[in-house]
Amino acid sequence: MEHILKGINLNKTFGTKDQNIQALKDVDFYLDEGELLGIAGESGSGKSTLLNVISGLIRPDSGELFYREQEYTGKDPAHTGRFLQMIFQDAKSSFDPRFTMECSLLESRRKKTDRDALCGILKEVGLDEKLLKRKASELSGGQCQRMSIARALYSEADILLCDEITSALDVSSQAQVVEILKKLNVERKLSAIFVSHDIALLSTLCTRIMVMKDGQVVEQGLTTDVIGTPGNEYTKLLIESARKQSL
Amino acid sequence: MKKRISRKKVIKIKLVIMVVLALSVVFLTLFAGVIAKNDPYQTCATSIRTAPCVDYPFGTDNLGRCIFARVLYGGRTTIAATFALVFISFAIGTVIGMVCGYFGGIIDRILMRLADITLGFPQMVVAIAVAGILGGGIKSAMIALGITMWVSFARLARSHTFSIRSAAFVQTARFAGKNDAYIIMVHVFPNLLAPVLTNALTQIGTTMIGLSGLSFLGLGVIPPAAEWGSMISEARAYIQIAPWAVIYPSVATIITIIIFNYLGDVIMDYREVR
Repeated sequence: MEHILKGINLNKTFGTKDQNIQALKDVDFYLDEGELLGIAGESGSGKSTLLNVISGLIRPDSGELFYREQEYTGKDPAHTGRFLQMIFQDAKSSFDPRFTMECSLLESRRKKTDRDALCGILKEVGLDEKLLKRKASELSGGQCQRMSIARALYSEADILLCDEITSALDVSSQAQVVEILKKLNVERKLSAIFVSHDIALLSTLCTRIMVMKDGQVVEQGLTTDVIGTPGNEYTKLLIESARKQSL
Repeated sequence: MKKRISRKKVIKIKLVIMVVLALSVVFLTLFAGVIAKNDPYQTCATSIRTAPCVDYPFGTDNLGRCIFARVLYGGRTTIAATFALVFISFAIGTVIGMVCGYFGGIIDRILMRLADITLGFPQMVVAIAVAGILGGGIKSAMIALGITMWVSFARLARSHTFSIRSAAFVQTARFAGKNDAYIIMVHVFPNLLAPVLTNALTQIGTTMIGLSGLSFLGLGVIPPAAEWGSMISEARAYIQIAPWAVIYPSVATIITIIIFNYLGDVIMDYREVR
């Protein structure tokens, strides 16, 4: 089966002359069309670095990246933006503070402006058209995050890369965003990678989960398998701490 | 019951007052020809060092020239030269700062070391030296002060560009395929404009002092052209006989500098509470 996105043997090291930190160590991953892949791990495990490498914001030291079997390793966001979009943790900061939502959304689209498509997408994410006239500072965190999702959809990207997109939201906004993404996955066959430290959240949303620790993938598999019968001690620890938090 | 006025409202009121005062100074000098009935360059042998009266509200100087007219016309020279110098320094410094902050690398290192070296010398000392080499005239004075003035704008623009460059909305624009020129013009420049413009306003007072200072030392405006610094310099020789010839241009300089300095402060406060 053709993977929509694939990474082979990805390595990335950050550091100075004195100290090197290997953020990614021989990471392999894939994403199938219409799949929601979750990447779990604690802070510093390399999950956000992996997302930045996939998006082209950071160049890997070695390894290869493929989009529909076409290699794109080392390409910048101007190239990768044709098929993927990032959704950031702090949604407000992903909008120019001077721009209205309309300007921001129109800017994201490479193709000709399509007002009807824009209004349709806003309905899909449960936002009113009137909000297009507002700036990010005039919207709530949840509204901004949904507007980010709308922007990614309007850009007609095939893949969404979501970096801790619910961690800055309150519980009800988190639930709204999760529901919207589930709906988009069913209706649009949306493919996305979610990075989160919250394995419980990933288990409700993703079909497959990848667990990272110290820059390495320690476990991956179907959500039911990873959550039901974890094979790695670190995964067990993450699940256990998620259970304790929910009590 | 006593009603408390919020800090934001107080600052807004202050801002309106300062803008009105600053505009008044500008308009007074712009319409000097209409307001002053005497010619600022017309000498009069019968009215030398006349004390303030109806015909000469600020008195006359050693050549019988109307000080009121010269203060208004002199203000035009001082304010126009100050605004022009601040604007040019703002434009050059901001472009340099944006290029350094956005692209970094060798250009950034060279220009920022040049800025560090420039900051190592006292501004007025450099200005006096440069103006001395270039000779008198308002253009020489402007070049002399401008050599060091761009630095504060460049450093401020660089630091803001540095943070804007890595902002998520700039990354998003990159994903949309926008090039560096577009990002600088549409996202970086408008977002750093407010702090850099505020800095420009606070520089107006300092620049005015610098220009008047150079003219006072004979390195700025060349007489008989009217300029506050050169007027004070000319009149100090007979300050005991005709103190008004020194007092009025000095008061005009002080009031104008206070107004523009305070306007800069109020605008900074306004940006904080907005």
